[in-house]
Amino acid sequence: MVAGFGEIDRRPVAVIAADFTTLGASSSRIMGKKTRHVKKIAAEHGLPVVFLGECSGGRIPDLMGSDGIGAAGEGSFYNRARETPWVSAILGQSYGGSTWYAMMSDLVIMRKGAIMAVASPNVTSVATTESVDLEELGGWRMQSEVTGQCDVAVDADLDALKSVARFLSYLPSHAGEAPPRAAVPAGSDEAIANILDIVPESRAKVYDVRKALEVIVDKGSLYYIKERFAKVAVTALARIDGWPIGIIASNPLVKGGALDGDACDKIISFMVLCDSFNVPIVQFADTPGFLVGFEGERRKLPSKIMNYIQALEMTTVPKFAVVMRKSYGQAYLNMGGGKSDALAAWYTADVGFMDPAVGVNVVHGVKQSDDPKRFAQLADELGRANSAYDLAAPYFAQAVIDPRETRGWLKRMLSIHRRRPSGGVGKHRMATWPTKF
Amino acid sequence: MADIQVKSELAGKVWKIETKTGQALAEEDAIMILESMKMEIPVLAPRSGTLKDILVAEGDSVTEGQALAVLSV
Repeated sequence: MVAGFGEIDRRPVAVIAADFTTLGASSSRIMGKKTRHVKKIAAEHGLPVVFLGECSGGRIPDLMGSDGIGAAGEGSFYNRARETPWVSAILGQSYGGSTWYAMMSDLVIMRKGAIMAVASPNVTSVATTESVDLEELGGWRMQSEVTGQCDVAVDADLDALKSVARFLSYLPSHAGEAPPRAAVPAGSDEAIANILDIVPESRAKVYDVRKALEVIVDKGSLYYIKERFAKVAVTALARIDGWPIGIIASNPLVKGGALDGDACDKIISFMVLCDSFNVPIVQFADTPGFLVGFEGERRKLPSKIMNYIQALEMTTVPKFAVVMRKSYGQAYLNMGGGKSDALAAWYTADVGFMDPAVGVNVVHGVKQSDDPKRFAQLADELGRANSAYDLAAPYFAQAVIDPRETRGWLKRMLSIHRRRPSGGVGKHRMATWPTKF
Repeated sequence: MADIQVKSELAGKVWKIETKTGQALAEEDAIMILESMKMEIPVLAPRSGTLKDILVAEGDSVTEGQALAVLSV
C-alpha cells in the first residue's frame, strides 16, 4: 500500500492507494498501521481521504490463528464520524479491506470490470461449494443496480480519478467549513425558459425529472449519485449560482414517481452526506405518494418512510422544497412539506392527503369506468382545496411560483439562508448515521 | 447475446404496448405503458438490445416483479 498526501484542485488530500503488485495488496498489520496513521492526520487536520481500492483479501497465513485475527481488531478502524469526506475508487478486484473502506466512504466509484465483494471468489466458492461468476458476485452492474453500494460507475481508471476530483469539488475539505462556491458557467440562466416544454401539464403523464433539473441548476453542474439504483428517486450534487446543493427529486418516469423502500434508503444516505458537510438540500416533489402494496410491506416500507423523515428533521443544513405538479400524503411531508426552511409550490401544484381520483374510489366507492360523469364531479369536489394557493394561504407554502421562476427563487433562498452566525456550518447530527443501508 | 427478463416495477394494468418483437431498443426506451397510481407509467428497457418477446397483452393486470418482456442484449 502506498499512502501519503497530495493536492486536488489546489486543496490538500490524503491518499491511501492499494498496490496490487505487492502480495495482491492483501491486508496486513503494517498496512493497517499505515492506514490508521494517515486517517488520523486527515481527521485532525481537515483533509479529505481518497482510497484507491484493490485488495485480494486478508493476507494468509499472517492473519491466521487467534493472534492474527486478534491483532486485526486492535485500534479504531470503524468509528466514522465524518470529520472529513472520504471517497473510494475501486479499480480492480476488491475483497475484504478495500471493500470495507468503500462501505464506510461517502462515495464509491467503480471502474467497470472491477469487482467489489466481501470475499474473493476462491474463498467464496470454497465456503459455499458454488462456482462463482465474478460479475454476479460483485460487478459494477450488480453493485450499481441491485445493491446501490456503488454510487458512480466509470469506464476507465482515469475517469475514476476525475470523478473523485469532481465529487470533492462540491464539498468542503472538512466538516468545519462551508462548501466552496464556484464560478457560474455562462448561459446558466437561459435554459429555465424551456421548462414548460419538459414538464407535461397533465399530471397523469410522466417525464424525466433529470431534464427539468438540468435547466434549473448551473449549466453542467449535476453530479448524480446512485443514478442506476432506485431510479424513482434522483439524488445529485449540483450548483445554483455557484453554491453547492444536494438535490433529492422524485422521478415520474420511474414508477410514476411513487417512492419505494430503496428510494428511502438512497435518500437517507444522501442526506447524511449533505448534513455532514454543510450542503443545503433541495427537494423536488412530483409524486403520487409512497408505493403502497404487498412488496413494499414485505420490505419494511413503514420503517424506511419513518427513517427518511426522521433523518430529514435531524438535518440542520438549509432545506428547501419545491412542489412541482403534485405531492400527496406522507410523501408530501417526507419531501419537505413543513420540514423545510422555505417551500415553493408551482402554481399548477396539487397537494392533499391523496390524489382526488384515488379519494373518490376510497370515499365513495365510485370507479371512473362505472360512472364517468359522477366520478368527475366527485373528484372535482375532493380536489377543490388542493391548489398551490390553498397551501400558501395558511402559509404552509412560502411562495407560489411559475415553474420558470424556480431557479430565481432558489438563488434568492440560497443567498438568504446562509447560516451566517455559524459560517454556514451545521450541527452534523447525521454525521454518525451508518454510511450504508 | 444473453436474454434478460424485463419485469414490472409495480402492480398495475397494461394500457398500451408500443413496441413489436424484433425491434431494436436503446436503454430507457419505453416498451409498454402501464396504468397505475392514476398515472401512465412506461416500462423502460433496462439496457439496449432487441425485443425478443412480449409476455403480456393490453388490458392484462400485472403484479410487481412479473416478467413483461424478454430483451436480448
